[in-house]
Amino acid sequence: MITCDEFFAEFGDYLENRIPHEVRQELEEHLSQCRACHVLYDSTLKTVKIVTDSSSFELPASVSDRIIDRVMAKLNKEQS
Amino acid sequence: MAFLRKVQLDEKFPPFAAYRESYGFVPNFFRAQAILPRLIEAQAGLEGVILKEGKAFSRIQKQKIHLVIAAALQDTYWVTARIATLQSLGLPGIHAGRLLEDFHQAGLSTAEVALLDFCLKLSLDWQNVGLGDIEKLRSHEFDDFAILEAVLTCALARFFSVFSAGVRPEPDFDPYELPAPTVAAPAGVPARSSGAHGSYQHGRQDPYIRTVYLSPKTFAPFAGVFKTHGFIPNVYRAQSLRPDVLEAVSRSVGTILVTGDVLSRIQKECIFVAASAAIQNSYCVAAHCNLLRGFGLSPEEGDQIAIDHHQSDLSDADKSLLDFSLKLAVRPFEVSREDIDGLRAYGFTDEQILECVAITALSNYVNMLQIGLGAEPDFELPHGYEQKKVYPPEAEDRHKREGLDVPTSTMEVEDPDAGLVAKAQAGELGAFEELIRRHSSSIYRALMAILGNPEESQDAMQDALLSSFRHIKRFEGRSKFSTWLVSIARNTALQRLRDRRDTESLDEGVEGEEEFRPRQIRAWQDNPEQLHSKAETKSLVEKSILGLPSKYRIVVMLRDIEQLSTEEVARQLGLTVPALKTRLLRGRLMLRESLAPHFAVSTGKAAT
Repeated sequence: MITCDEFFAEFGDYLENRIPHEVRQELEEHLSQCRACHVLYDSTLKTVKIVTDSSSFELPASVSDRIIDRVMAKLNKEQS
Repeated sequence: MAFLRKVQLDEKFPPFAAYRESYGFVPNFFRAQAILPRLIEAQAGLEGVILKEGKAFSRIQKQKIHLVIAAALQDTYWVTARIATLQSLGLPGIHAGRLLEDFHQAGLSTAEVALLDFCLKLSLDWQNVGLGDIEKLRSHEFDDFAILEAVLTCALARFFSVFSAGVRPEPDFDPYELPAPTVAAPAGVPARSSGAHGSYQHGRQDPYIRTVYLSPKTFAPFAGVFKTHGFIPNVYRAQSLRPDVLEAVSRSVGTILVTGDVLSRIQKECIFVAASAAIQNSYCVAAHCNLLRGFGLSPEEGDQIAIDHHQSDLSDADKSLLDFSLKLAVRPFEVSREDIDGLRAYGFTDEQILECVAITALSNYVNMLQIGLGAEPDFELPHGYEQKKVYPPEAEDRHKREGLDVPTSTMEVEDPDAGLVAKAQAGELGAFEELIRRHSSSIYRALMAILGNPEESQDAMQDALLSSFRHIKRFEGRSKFSTWLVSIARNTALQRLRDRRDTESLDEGVEGEEEFRPRQIRAWQDNPEQLHSKAETKSLVEKSILGLPSKYRIVVMLRDIEQLSTEEVARQLGLTVPALKTRLLRGRLMLRESLAPHFAVSTGKAAT
């Protein structure tokens, strides 16, 4: 079986699903037997999902409108 | 007379001894490269593992493949040399002659004919090679080892022929007169049907043949590949049944491509990109454009070389070098002494020209492997890249003369904004307003990613929008409008960072980042997203992201919030993909540490 270090070396690609079939099998075998790596994998995957689904940093419509209005006013003035 | 300057090497030069043993003589092909002995060594290594007696094919069979390919390419030099070698291996000359006239009528077994048919198709008509051709070989009982050996043998044959076209060694014996070709050498690269290019997609499919896992930790050639690319590209994995070949290839690539004493590394990568584009190998273009970015060339500049190097900022001399390489890659035996003299007139030395030939030949080699083994794309293509712009001008003329379908530029990307963009470019403010409303969220997030502060981002957004209107006429539709708009926002933000001299976030190297290992090993709750309200989660995430050092914040935001691809993030930030991946993983792990108290099992329950 591969070691935790070997697992960690491929971890980033594994999260990104950029792992070819035969390596994936090795990693998954490791995951099924190593609790620490399994927890690391599971929690990091959840982190990414939480971050992706969080709708973070959305610009409130009111702010967006204000900025765009200001920009358009300026451009209108320049064109006339 | 050979094209390039000659020098004498000591007959004891080890590769010469090896050649004397395998050919019965030292071919002039290698003597013609004596001004750069390391190239000869590189090829000796490759040839040693590929053409030796193999598991599947004998030396005679491999020499036959080389003979047939050389003949189809009208490569008199190698035809003559292969016939001599076949004779020294015991094949009567008359048999070789029959192979040249028409190997279908030469009394070969049906399996052997199928093998040669495959090899010819791969060498001449590689655009149309697919899984079906591999299945055909399998139906003749060729196993995966045999298929790999066949593809490697073809790749080396093409490498040698492109190389010989570039140096024109003097024949070693009376040149064999070639019969009229039964298979026409292609005039250029067959034009792909339109839209074929759109099929370049990130695939997760395995190569045509079986692979085995070779760990970068224990298999040295992969350690180097891993260091360069940050992962093991499919074109290498596809060869994993033959670690000995991978070892030789890694040494040869090291000697041919990863040296900077004659041509610079950047010049070499440019040649590789341009030659690969010329033979329409998107895979190699994407891979090496990616590498070019790692050498400090701006993404636009690197991509431009793939698209059309004449429009790039390269010097006229470098452009002429790429012209030469393109011609050699596409129509090897039309290269003439005048082409060489033209390069000399630009001040290139014979050593530099020889290296350019070697790299062009190498790009052909990798092309054959990638196509023949079905290595799926795993790099992102440059923006606006179209294979069709790269035809050397004469090639287009030729297509016109022969009434062939002249490839037309299809630079325009289908863009839902195109109609509004045209109006906005004509000065219609209403159209512009609609465009920026559509994309205001992405613009804002791009700014927040870099600046990390809401007020400043809103302020910068105004600047970015004004600036995009002032420059909208320069937008040429090479990318989607939204991409262009967001890149203006990003530049505005980067400029602000520079103005306040806060560039640690971007310029800092990746040293010391490898050692980050997480400490939190408490398991997380099963449905962590249900532990807090949406608003609470959003606020936790935002706070954690803004708490990251900026270089991690930017990567995490672009990848996980904006959801750009890894390659795209690397491109936007001018980072190599490996560097980006290291940063991304570390950023995610830091976020995980900072979110863990709110989502892990034991404290998760108390957190609400």
